[in-house]
Amino acid sequence: MSNAPAWSGAFDRGSLQDVVGLPIADVRAWAFGGATGAGVKVAVVDSGVDAGHPRVGGIAGAIAFELDPAAELGYVEREGAHEDLVGHGTACAAIIRALAPDVEIHSVRVLGANLKGRGALLHAGVAWSVDHGMHVANLSLSSKSDTMFGPLHEIADEAYFSGTVLVCAANNLPGPTYPSQYASVVSVAARPGHEEMALAYNAHPPVEFGARGIDVDVAWADHGSITATGNSFAAPHVTGMVALMRSKHPWLTPFQVKAVLQAASINSISG
Amino acid sequence: MTTAPGVDPALGRCVEATRALFGAAACSIALVDDDGATLEFVASDGEGADAIVGVTIPVSRGIAGWAAMSGQPIAVRDVQSDARFARDVAESTHYVPNAIYAAPMIDAAGEVLGVASVLDPDVEEASDWTLNVLGTMAGLMALVATATSGGDPQERPLAGLGSDVLRLVESWQGSDHGGSA
Repeated sequence: MSNAPAWSGAFDRGSLQDVVGLPIADVRAWAFGGATGAGVKVAVVDSGVDAGHPRVGGIAGAIAFELDPAAELGYVEREGAHEDLVGHGTACAAIIRALAPDVEIHSVRVLGANLKGRGALLHAGVAWSVDHGMHVANLSLSSKSDTMFGPLHEIADEAYFSGTVLVCAANNLPGPTYPSQYASVVSVAARPGHEEMALAYNAHPPVEFGARGIDVDVAWADHGSITATGNSFAAPHVTGMVALMRSKHPWLTPFQVKAVLQAASINSISG
Repeated sequence: MTTAPGVDPALGRCVEATRALFGAAACSIALVDDDGATLEFVASDGEGADAIVGVTIPVSRGIAGWAAMSGQPIAVRDVQSDARFARDVAESTHYVPNAIYAAPMIDAAGEVLGVASVLDPDVEEASDWTLNVLGTMAGLMALVATATSGGDPQERPLAGLGSDVLRLVESWQGSDHGGSA
C-alpha cells in the first residue's frame, strides 16, 4: 500500500487499525494537560487572518506576500495588518485559539488576487516561518506543481531541522501534493467526530493523522461563521495540539512531536 | 446543460454527470484566465446554469476562489451565512445554494486550471469520502479540458467520461439502491 493515494479513507468509521506507540504512561495528560499554548508562536499560512474576529482573539503579527513582477524574487512582503480575503485563515486561527488560548498567532498571507506564482508565495511563507522562529506553522493549502517539489522539500527539511513543526492538510485529490507528502511534516486528513482534541494515526501513510474536520462550525469572514468540511479544517486542530505540547515541553523536536502525537492517538496501543 | 462558446461538449457532459452523481441542484466548472486573476464559468448544469455561464469572478473571492487559491477541496454547508459569498453570488446568478462543494482542477503539470463546484448535493453528510469523489472528478475534468483540440472530438482522451459516468449513475438509480449519492 506504499503507493496508496493520499486520500486513502483510512479514517472512515470502522477502518482504523491499531498502531504501536511509545510506552508513555498517560500520554495525553503528559502532552496536553494544563497547557495553554503560552509562549508558543504559531504561523497561519493562509488567506490572512481577521484579527478582530471575536473567535480569533487578536494576533501577534501579520505579514503578506504579494506578487510583484518587478521585484527580484517576483514578490514583495508587506508587514502589518491585512484582511482575510476569504475567511479561511480566520477559521484556522480560531480553531487553534480554541485549543490553545494563549498562543501567539502570526498571520502569514500567501494566498491573494492571482494564482500565478502561488507555489513561490507558499514557499516564501514557510521560509518566513522558519526564519522567524515559529514553533509550529499551519499549512491548510498545498501545491501539486512539479516545479515546486524540490524547493518546498528543501524548505520543509529546513523547518524540520530548525524546530518549526509544519502541520499540513492532506489533499482529497489523486496523486501527491506538497508539502503534505513529505516525511518531514505532520500530514492531516479529516475524520468523523466532533471532539476537538480527538486524534487518530493512519497505519498506512503518507497521510499520518486524522482529526476533526467534518461539519465543523468555524469562524469566517465579516465576523461570521459557517459549517465547513475539509482536511484544511483538520490540520489546525493538530496545530493546536502541537502548540499545547510545545508550551509544556519546549524542548520537543519535530520528530518527538510526531511520536507523541502517534502515542496520543485513539488507536495507539502502548509498545 | 449550458456551455460557453468554444467549450468542448465533452466537458459539458462531465458537468452533467457530476451533478447526477451527487444528486445536486447544480454543477459548474470555472476556468482560470491566462493572467491567473479571474475564474470564468464555462459549463454548468442545473439551477442557474444559464445565468452563471460566462460570469467571471476574482480568484480571491468565494468558496470556489479559495479552492483555486489553496489547491484544496472544501465543503460548506450553510453558505448563505457567508455574507461575502452570498453577495458575490447574488451579483452573478439568481440561485443561492445552502451548500457548496468545490475542488480544484489541476493540469498535468500540477498547476490549478480551474474549479469544479457542486451546489446542494444530495448526500447524507459531508465527508472526506465525498470530497475525494469530487476531487477525483475534478482531476479527470481537468484532463478533459486540456485534451488536445483538433481531430475527431470522439477520439480525444476521456471524451466519453461524462457519458460513461452518467450511464453508471442512471443505472445505479434505476436499481434498488435509490437515488441518493
